[in-house]
Amino acid sequence: MKLITAILKPFKLEDVKNALQAAGVAGMTVSEASGFGRQRGHTEVYRGAEYTVDLVPKVRLEVLVDDKDADSVVDVIVKAASTGSIGDGKVWTTPVDQVIRVRTGERGSEAI
Amino acid sequence: MSTRERRDRSNESDRFLSKLFHDALNTHCEEDTGKEIALAAVGGYGRGELSPGSDLDILILHNGKIAQEKLQAIVNDVLYPLWERNSVDHSVRTRSETRESAASDLRVATGLLDIRLIAGNADVVAAVQGDSLEYWRKNTKQNLPELERSLSERHVRAGELAYLLEPDLKEARGGLRDIQALRAIALSGAVHVPLEKISWAESTLNNVREALHTASGRGKNRLLFQEQDKVARILEYKNADAMMGDVARAARSVDYLLDYTWHALEHKGKDGLGRIMRRPRVVTVAKNVSAANREIVIDPFTSFDEDPVVGLRAAATAARLGLPLSLDTCTELSLALNSGQGILPNPWPREARELLMTLIGAGESMVGIFETLDQEEIIFHWIPEWRSVRSLPQRNALHRHTVDRHMVETAVHAGKLTRKVHRPDLLLFAALFHDIGKGTEEDHSERGVRLIEPIARRIGFDEKDIETLQLLVRHHLLLSSTATRRDLDDPATIQSVMALIPDANALELLHALSIADGEATGSAGWSDWKATLVAELVSRVRKAMAGFEVAQQPMLSEEQIALAAKGELRISLEEHSSGYAVEVISPDRPGLLSIVAGVFSISRLDVKSARTKTLGNSAVMYWIVTPEPHAPEITEAGLHQLIAEALKDSADIEEKLIARAKAYSSIPTMPVPDPEVEIFTDAATDATVIEVRSHDRPGLLFRIGAAITQSKIDIRSAIVTTLGAEAIDTLYVTELTGGPLTPERANEVASHLKQALK
Repeated sequence: MKLITAILKPFKLEDVKNALQAAGVAGMTVSEASGFGRQRGHTEVYRGAEYTVDLVPKVRLEVLVDDKDADSVVDVIVKAASTGSIGDGKVWTTPVDQVIRVRTGERGSEAI
Repeated sequence: MSTRERRDRSNESDRFLSKLFHDALNTHCEEDTGKEIALAAVGGYGRGELSPGSDLDILILHNGKIAQEKLQAIVNDVLYPLWERNSVDHSVRTRSETRESAASDLRVATGLLDIRLIAGNADVVAAVQGDSLEYWRKNTKQNLPELERSLSERHVRAGELAYLLEPDLKEARGGLRDIQALRAIALSGAVHVPLEKISWAESTLNNVREALHTASGRGKNRLLFQEQDKVARILEYKNADAMMGDVARAARSVDYLLDYTWHALEHKGKDGLGRIMRRPRVVTVAKNVSAANREIVIDPFTSFDEDPVVGLRAAATAARLGLPLSLDTCTELSLALNSGQGILPNPWPREARELLMTLIGAGESMVGIFETLDQEEIIFHWIPEWRSVRSLPQRNALHRHTVDRHMVETAVHAGKLTRKVHRPDLLLFAALFHDIGKGTEEDHSERGVRLIEPIARRIGFDEKDIETLQLLVRHHLLLSSTATRRDLDDPATIQSVMALIPDANALELLHALSIADGEATGSAGWSDWKATLVAELVSRVRKAMAGFEVAQQPMLSEEQIALAAKGELRISLEEHSSGYAVEVISPDRPGLLSIVAGVFSISRLDVKSARTKTLGNSAVMYWIVTPEPHAPEITEAGLHQLIAEALKDSADIEEKLIARAKAYSSIPTMPVPDPEVEIFTDAATDATVIEVRSHDRPGLLFRIGAAITQSKIDIRSAIVTTLGAEAIDTLYVTELTGGPLTPERANEVASHLKQALK
């Protein structure tokens, strides 16, 4: 099993969510996040005072999938999240040892 | 679900316990031991009411002569079988131990007031009952203040039953624990408590609690969303909202009786002869309004018909000073309004509108005042529309409060942002009414636009302001939904916002409203994350818009120009709806603005607005001033003399103003945000525009003028406006040699001004 983590622009969440549901992904976890990558923060002038926006608001999306589905789900996310401009985000996968559904105690792929 | 069922449940527990107790005695004791021990119920069980999930509060009393092992064995035999059935809260004590623990623990003392014999020696229980009541009555001076303290601590922790969407029926303010407290106060005999007034409330809250225990299968007291529908069905309500409406109504009546009772306790002995003998210090704080006994009262013999604004004035003053509004005053005002006296004209006079803004903008202390006005139904005489949202639940996971309370909370948060906008009055008003459209199937923003119009018109806003208010209500969710769901890099996103928001001033108001609304909603609806996104959107839209609109320099009439050319001091005074309109034409000199403002201030004339302009060697000034209570009469000649003298030597004025400021500092005030000073270099070609936004206070304009004079710059024109408790002063300034300030100089002046106004 794999954990797919995606950092996205907030407004892309709706598109990515819909695309994932269309691709048959049943559940996901979404949280508010902030940070920066190569895009970096930028300097703003507000009312004459300069302030630096060093952490940019992003959305963090996590999906658990079977190994065999991982590549195609990553593709779905990347396609839906892309705007072609700087700051579109990143997607990565990590191997997962075990998954347990709390309610039933099912393990492995059954619990996804 | 009824008192009868709760009583049956209690009786059944009595029988069960009684049998356990007797069995235990038979097992462990000889015949006589029964005389040494008794089993009693305390707390809610003592009153004979048990909900399915209630604790059994029991007390095993003994006379100390019974052997320790034997006592242990009896207690175990009674308790072990119980643990299988109920959760039990028990204690084992002698009469003197009980006395001691009552003296050291308020909860034990109040619980014992409800003690009731279940089985065993009746005399032991009767003795403890007598002790408890005697202790409670003899020590009211120390017990009741402690009770009040513990109540207010709990209220802060658990919030208010009438305004929470998922309230705790027992702990919240206006809940079941408060009813127990009222009963305890009544038993103390210190004051009469008309408990019959809350009998409906008590049975309603108990019924809901009982149904909640049944629905949840546990002894929980917090009424969560997920259980509300089920509980409402059990109690045969139409829906959960109808039930929550009843809960709110019950809570309000409990809360009201509690307030009334504390008030009665506090004023005990201060009536009749006592009042004359120990007359409290009374300080006049506004016209017909005084502070006495650390609360705000309307002066006796005030005619509500002659001064219909006095109620709003008292409320605004109370909120501003952070003092409560006297309950007697509220009752009197409510009676007057109900009998048709003191009805505000339509549209409201300017003073009434400003007082409402002062009230709304007063911050945290406004919440209590607003609730008092709600409880006494005074607010509905001023704003009938408020009734439609009173304790209105909202089935929304983001919200914590009922609609009315959410809007009040939004206004509190908006009060912290008044310095960030050009029109604090519009922000505060929109904040207090932004969700007024809730309560039907229709889109609440659209409905709100329709509802806010007549309110704003009645309160006296002009057409342009009403349009802005409608815009704010219609689009109060626009910024947060756009910022989180649309691409901020896409010019179309920025365009879509610009198509709806006409200018930078409206954008600034909408931004502040979004923040206040979000913060009032709570962490589920607002976070730094969201705030950053909204700020980003606002900053991008503002860049694409034209600049801010600042107050324009006044135009002068031919007549004024001719008079100014003479270069003499000339004063003319006219009556005005807010007090007086004063035209001052004077030879110009450095510090003129602050000198004239200073003269008004020491003459106890409050500056409402001013428009001044320098023309050649003269200045033309038009002032609107309101006399403070007890202000001496003013005349044209008197003012002329004062200003002429001050122009020659202003040292005297400064001294008097400092003395006045000191006198004012003895009256308590609420903390207010720091003043904001903003510079606009591009708003005029021949001058720099400085805008000062600050809390209005005596002598403010004098201090601004003095700071400008110290900075060695010239005021070409000044436009001063007060909006409720807020003052906005727009100054067109130039170097003494003429021409606008350099950006460095402007910043220097701004920081000097900020410093001077702190």
